[in-house]
Amino acid sequence: MKNTRKLIFLSLLVAIGLGLGLVESMMPLPFVAPGAKLGLSNMVILITLVVFSPKDAFVVGILKSIVLTLVTGSVTSLFYSLSGSVLSCLAMTIVYKYFSNIFSSIGVSIFGAMTHNFVQVLVACLMMNNFRIFSYLPILQLTSIFTGYFVGLTSKYAVNNLRKSFNKFDVSH
Amino acid sequence: MTRGDKILIAIIIIVNVAALFFVKNLAFNYENKYISIQVNGEEIKKITFDSNMVGKQIPIETEYGYNLIEIGDEKVRVIEADCPDQLDVKQGYISRVGEVIVCLPNKLVIEIKGGNIETDIDGLSR
Repeated sequence: MKNTRKLIFLSLLVAIGLGLGLVESMMPLPFVAPGAKLGLSNMVILITLVVFSPKDAFVVGILKSIVLTLVTGSVTSLFYSLSGSVLSCLAMTIVYKYFSNIFSSIGVSIFGAMTHNFVQVLVACLMMNNFRIFSYLPILQLTSIFTGYFVGLTSKYAVNNLRKSFNKFDVSH
Repeated sequence: MTRGDKILIAIIIIVNVAALFFVKNLAFNYENKYISIQVNGEEIKKITFDSNMVGKQIPIETEYGYNLIEIGDEKVRVIEADCPDQLDVKQGYISRVGEVIVCLPNKLVIEIKGGNIETDIDGLSR
């Protein structure tokens, strides 16, 4: 019974991540840097990581990437999306598990956003065989501070409320 | 927002602004900047800038006339010419990518070229 509830909540989180990802791809870029995204769907991964477990966060991240590819229909973005979410999830797990006495969820989120950007630039370099793209990394990393900050802040409030409701349903670990 | 977060943000800002300046300097420093000497529209000589080329003088004698160019530190000029108006000598040094010295009577064009300005797009990802 408990597992079914957890399954439902995880699939709901994946669905929310999909919705956020879609809305995000329709939004005009709010930044000067082209290619910079808000990383709203990163919020879902961060929430899953905190409320459930790192393992579930990986599952949500991978599922979200694959299904988002099916929805948007651009297969090449699967490489960017999948590698980015898996490795940023790994970074967030490490920071959350071992350094949570130093960093709050904002710090965890910033680490996730930075790793995501780094991996995407790396994948772009490998796919285009052009390492000059790395010159774009500083701009992306500066924007990742803002996006990471707001994603972290949002998930902090979301986690507080979700914990309460999840405790009611007895699903969290 | 803990103390660690603030320190993290400060470090990221400092490192990336520094990296940004570094990249900016790098971007305007064309790696393969070279002097292209063209006579009558054809490139007859390519000279890459090198520290042991500084002060070197290269005579260019063609059927159209005679010019003597001098290579400096990342720059180049014409110091002697047999053309009547001597405009190329008066122009002095050129140093940036895209700058040219033209000696019309001798059909000579000296241009500084960079390896990576020929194509508009390096790559495309979608």
